[in-house]
Amino acid sequence: MSNFLDRLTFFKRHKESFSNEHGVTVDEDRRWEDGYRSRWQHDKVVRSTHGVNCTGSCSWKIYVKNGLVTWETQQTDYPRTRPGLPNHEPRGCARGASFSWYIYSANRLKYPMVRRHLVELWRDAKKQHSDPVEAWASIVQDPKKAQSYKSRRGLGGFVRADWQEVQEIIAAANVYTARDYGPDRIIGFSPIPAMSMVSYAAGTRYLSLIGGVCMSFYDWYCDLPPASPQTWGEQTDVPESADWFNSTFLMMWGSNVPQTRTPDAHYMTEARYRGTKTVTVTPDYSEASKFGDIWLNPKQGTDSALAMAMGHVILKEWHVEGKSDYFDDYVRRYTDLPYLVLLDEENGNTVPGRFLRASDLADDLGEQDNADWKTISWDENSGSLVAPTGSIGFRWTETKGKWNLEQKTGDGRDIHLRLSHIDNSDEVTEVAFPYFGGGGNPHFSHTSHDPVQKRRVPIRTITLADGSSARVASVFDLMVANYGIDRGLGGDHVASSYDDDVPYTPAWQEAITGVPREKVITVAQQFAENAHKTHGKSMIIIGAAMNHWYHMDMNYRGVIKMLMMCGCVGVSGGGWAHYVGQEKLRPQTGWAPVAFAMDWHRPPRHMNSTSFFYNHTSQWRHETVKMDEILSPLVNADDWNGSMIDYNVRAERMGWLPSAPQLSRNPLQVAREAKQAGMEIKDYIVQSLRDGSLQFASEDPDNPANFPRNMFVWRSNLLGSSGKGHEYFLKYLLGTENGLQGKDLDSIPNAEKPEEVKWRDAATGKLDLLTTLDFRMSTTCMYSDIVLPTATWYEKHDMNTSDMHPFIHPLTAAVDPAWESRSDWDIYKGIAKKFSELCQGHLGEETDVTTLPHIHDTPAEMAQPKDVKDWKKGECEPIPGKTMPNMVPVERNYPETYNRFTALGPLMDNVGNGGKGITWKTNDEVEFLGDLNGRVTEDVSTKGRPKIRTAINACETILSLAPETNGHVAVRAWDALSVQTGREHAHLANSHEGETIRFNDIVAQPRKIISSPTWSGIESEKVSYNAGWTNINELIPWRTITGRQQFYQDHLWMRAFGETLCVYKPPIDMKTIDPIMNKKGNGNTEIVLNFITPHQKWGIHSTYTDNLLMLTLSRGGPIVWMSEKDAAKAGLEDNDWIEVFNVNGAITARAVVSQRVPEGMSMMYHAQEKIVNTPGSEITGNRGGIHNSVTRAVLKPTHMIGGYAQQSYFFNYHGTVGSNRDEFIVVRKMKNVDWMDEESGDAMRTEGA
Amino acid sequence: MLTLRALAHLMAYPNAPMQEALPELAEVIRNEERLAEGPKQAVINLITELQDQPLGEIQEQYVSLFDRGRHLSLHLFEHVHGESRDRGQAMVDLMEHYRLNGYELDAKELPDHIPLFLEYLSTQDETEITDMLGDAMPVMVLLGARLEEKESAYAALFHALEAIGGSCEQARDMRELASTEGPDETITKMDEIWEEEQVTFLGNNDPAGGGCGNTSPGAATTPTDEIPVRWVDNPGAQAAGQR
Repeated sequence: MSNFLDRLTFFKRHKESFSNEHGVTVDEDRRWEDGYRSRWQHDKVVRSTHGVNCTGSCSWKIYVKNGLVTWETQQTDYPRTRPGLPNHEPRGCARGASFSWYIYSANRLKYPMVRRHLVELWRDAKKQHSDPVEAWASIVQDPKKAQSYKSRRGLGGFVRADWQEVQEIIAAANVYTARDYGPDRIIGFSPIPAMSMVSYAAGTRYLSLIGGVCMSFYDWYCDLPPASPQTWGEQTDVPESADWFNSTFLMMWGSNVPQTRTPDAHYMTEARYRGTKTVTVTPDYSEASKFGDIWLNPKQGTDSALAMAMGHVILKEWHVEGKSDYFDDYVRRYTDLPYLVLLDEENGNTVPGRFLRASDLADDLGEQDNADWKTISWDENSGSLVAPTGSIGFRWTETKGKWNLEQKTGDGRDIHLRLSHIDNSDEVTEVAFPYFGGGGNPHFSHTSHDPVQKRRVPIRTITLADGSSARVASVFDLMVANYGIDRGLGGDHVASSYDDDVPYTPAWQEAITGVPREKVITVAQQFAENAHKTHGKSMIIIGAAMNHWYHMDMNYRGVIKMLMMCGCVGVSGGGWAHYVGQEKLRPQTGWAPVAFAMDWHRPPRHMNSTSFFYNHTSQWRHETVKMDEILSPLVNADDWNGSMIDYNVRAERMGWLPSAPQLSRNPLQVAREAKQAGMEIKDYIVQSLRDGSLQFASEDPDNPANFPRNMFVWRSNLLGSSGKGHEYFLKYLLGTENGLQGKDLDSIPNAEKPEEVKWRDAATGKLDLLTTLDFRMSTTCMYSDIVLPTATWYEKHDMNTSDMHPFIHPLTAAVDPAWESRSDWDIYKGIAKKFSELCQGHLGEETDVTTLPHIHDTPAEMAQPKDVKDWKKGECEPIPGKTMPNMVPVERNYPETYNRFTALGPLMDNVGNGGKGITWKTNDEVEFLGDLNGRVTEDVSTKGRPKIRTAINACETILSLAPETNGHVAVRAWDALSVQTGREHAHLANSHEGETIRFNDIVAQPRKIISSPTWSGIESEKVSYNAGWTNINELIPWRTITGRQQFYQDHLWMRAFGETLCVYKPPIDMKTIDPIMNKKGNGNTEIVLNFITPHQKWGIHSTYTDNLLMLTLSRGGPIVWMSEKDAAKAGLEDNDWIEVFNVNGAITARAVVSQRVPEGMSMMYHAQEKIVNTPGSEITGNRGGIHNSVTRAVLKPTHMIGGYAQQSYFFNYHGTVGSNRDEFIVVRKMKNVDWMDEESGDAMRTEGA
Repeated sequence: MLTLRALAHLMAYPNAPMQEALPELAEVIRNEERLAEGPKQAVINLITELQDQPLGEIQEQYVSLFDRGRHLSLHLFEHVHGESRDRGQAMVDLMEHYRLNGYELDAKELPDHIPLFLEYLSTQDETEITDMLGDAMPVMVLLGARLEEKESAYAALFHALEAIGGSCEQARDMRELASTEGPDETITKMDEIWEEEQVTFLGNNDPAGGGCGNTSPGAATTPTDEIPVRWVDNPGAQAAGQR
């Protein structure tokens, strides 16, 4: 039957269905929706971000109604990526979203706080002394008074204060300290400027104006991978997360991407959808493990063994067997593999020495200029030794333009470097390589291979300048031998099969890592094959888990070598992707003058925090790890005396590392003395150091003259989070109640004391004043004398960048700072003002003198070319800037501090700006900023200068001065680099020349930055950002000794500690268990576990784990994870209260018993605050500590090296790092859980939620 | 009602002007007829305590009681909404309420700060006082009970409010909660508190018997119920983390 009559001809039904009958249109009353509409009304939406130490850097919409923040949602307006690449958004995770309610939380700091005892002393003193500076002096000079408030730190007793009063106390303390002890006794700690760069700059600008010390953080957090400066001369430069998508073989090695890089993880999963193979390497079954097509689980801390075995496979199959022209060409051009190394005789062995230099050869090989710093290789074209352009010697010559990777000699001949001399060797010799796999920590597997591995290497004999002959080998030939690959040269200790048990075969690593050899071989083969086929698109994402070990360099170099062998570095979709806490400060060169007041004074005082805290929290007084325990078996141990602190002191006085406080007297006083003596300051200091009347402060840290006396902490939870050796901080630096269990070397029979450091009775309570700025009452605040409430991330103007995405975007003040809080900028501006008032009559125009180490990316990085000579031991003359730190006078005008803080100084016009070894003029920008920000009109010394009064002024100054955000500057910067390289680079920025980014622009939408020579990748519509791209494509050398990526490290100290080439080094023995295990029993079984402190799941870094939402998702207090097997051994069940302790201190926590964790390991997410639900310790009798209560810092001499090309100091760039994962702990069930709530005056009193 | 203003001053951070004004405040309290002798005397005792001790000491005590953490937070919505996003709208609504009644905030404080709230009420008539104070009473009772457990003289202020505003039906539960939680109920009973409840299909413990239809699907047509202007259902349970 036909349906003709059923159909309508002139009408269709109004209520049509849609979406395949899933939806239907209806006409019901919808007024009920109005309720929701009014519920979600708002007055405005403001763009901001969470300026927390997280690489996410996500942009958020903040909804404001009647001046109150009502809620927030993710921004979705990121500029889109190019076709074929997934977009950036959505970004922003649940942890970030949980921040919103912090603003009005009961945990918010609302008023300036000061410890009552101190403020009462202050008020009494003010009655006696009309001058606040004298009032402060009367308190701290009276040992009884000083001790009375210092010993109350951490024990509560705060009262609210008004801004005027606390500013006066702080300023008075600063004036007094600068006057009587020196401005370098005033220090400030704040991390990761990229997350809120103006807030960071506020404090450092103030400190730098008065001569205070800015403390480093990246190295102290142990997020700095020293392998990066060692290999590339670069702090850390990595691909943006979008470039993960371009990879076709992606490894996540010790990086928990979905958990810790949440907003970026989608690029990884999207790459997998596209067919990219993923391999995860984690010891535990982490959140990342499930994303691996292959999951490898080496025992924690043994990753370098795994990497070495993979390197063995790759090197053998692809290089020794010569399967890839791409790899071969890459390593010849872009790495040091073809360079020649001198062979030395040491202890009867032939060992690899330093790089051959032009100055070793007759007539300097025609390269007289910096001949010591021009490295040598063998040219196949001419059949002779050559000094290829690009080595560091070419960087700092008078005749510029040859610092490039053009494969030429200085006189312009084309060269083709020889990798191996196996086919034309003069002889084959046994060269000794160190093997460390038999020692180290007893809790790790050892193998019994000979500590001296002699392997045959093809060598050349050459004639030196003095007519003598020397034997040399290429790095390539040495490295093949080091990997234990049999090349048919005979001899022992080499493997012809992967199944041979020889370091570093896949079979060998099984005993150490526990990973089956087949898996290692498979991954290595596929990694390399993919790189071969794609020309380098194999990538390794790597994280803190790898870097927080004492021998992190070996973990990292092992992995980096795989990448370099396969030509992956500098290639989009390939390379080394380390994302740990560095957060790229994109407009760095625009920011640095503002942050370090380099518009007024140069140089600023920078200090590496690891050495500083190791010294000034007296951790060295307890040091039982001896340097001969890590020394190479190839050297004569008698030549290498001294303890850890001795090495550091030597490094400081040779100008390798900075020091702070710097000299043993007030630098203002030293300058006055020089003037009185009618001498140049430099000469006077040299003379005084030589005759012993002056010392470095670090040589006598327990002398009150050398204490750091005032400390600022802002944007940081130093004592609740990053302070390795927490209990040492409390005891020695703060002088208060602590849980330290160990005794110092005085109490240990026959303990060797340091040689270079004066041993005195231990000083405690070194700090006179600890001031912390925060928006919540963190653990650090609890220990501070004065706590200043700061604006949160929705209450201030600032800027934020990350390495994970290419944007710069703002924090903006959605609402005014709540209660009495103020922005960091306003707080420091206020302190600067008060300081300028109070210093009158105490400090005027003064000459200060700073000691400056040999700084990377300046000619000083060529200070000490071949040997190590210590002037103090008479091995050489003390020459500032050469054999010792430079001594640089700085003219300060203390009463002008506030005026200078708020105006852009004249050095920008007179000296210009720059970074990473290049400088450019910036007069146009200064002029422009005067027009934009306005000029100082008042009749003060800064009249006419551009204003930097507000945080927005500061933002505009940064944006205008930085090449990344000002196209004119970018072109100028590239041109400046062209002078050095002799190549044209400005094409990378020319199309952006007219582009300038203002603060309002980034408020409107996150903006992509402009390519600049500060970074080694480019911002482009055609290629994702990846580090090393300009090195490969623009032939800009890496900032290393050879100008190439360094497989080989030739410094004497690298040789002494056996790290010329990558080796496997087991974790070290921290010796923190035996003195305490089973000595303070509570009847429960004690077991020993390795202590790992990963990035949190329920908090963001050091911030807001005390937020109810995060606490609800976790277990509402401190927790430590362990395996089922270990729990059974200790008679523990999940959620039992346990105590975790060693000689450093004790922690109380809940046990999380999980199959996730391998036997022998425990995990405590870092920065769980002790202010949240932490019961008393049965060991210490005090409240349980934080995760760092059971750790302490240990220094590694190889990180101290300086004045040596890529191994030269720069702030946060190179230097000692605060590793902590070699630590072991005792775990036992608690007998009594005591909340200690009756104790009066315990500020950590647990808080009922 | 001056008594409420006096109570507001006593609950605020102690400072020198307040200390000087204590006799005046005491006078107001003494003259308050709605306070029985017991509660009245307790407030007078607090005043005496504030008068006798050095200012620094009472400030320190105040900070350690009220400026640290949630347990005794003097912000009403801390106990109602905690860190939920509802808190923002609740504060906006409360501010609007003040505005409609002729007052605007003139301090760097949030609208739910109790001394501020009391000052507002002190300008209002009996009906408004009864309504608003009645709404907030569960929080007041809880705070009073917690302070009593701590043996703090400040408890008197909240007992006085209870006397003025009339107690609430949850008062007994509140007090019992405060006494059993001790100073740290959330810690000693952490396991029970954080334990996840068994899923019971919309409150029906017997899914086989009742199906899952006992919440009307039409509920969404009255969304005003969802708007968080209501102060509190059971602040004690929320405050202790029981949801």
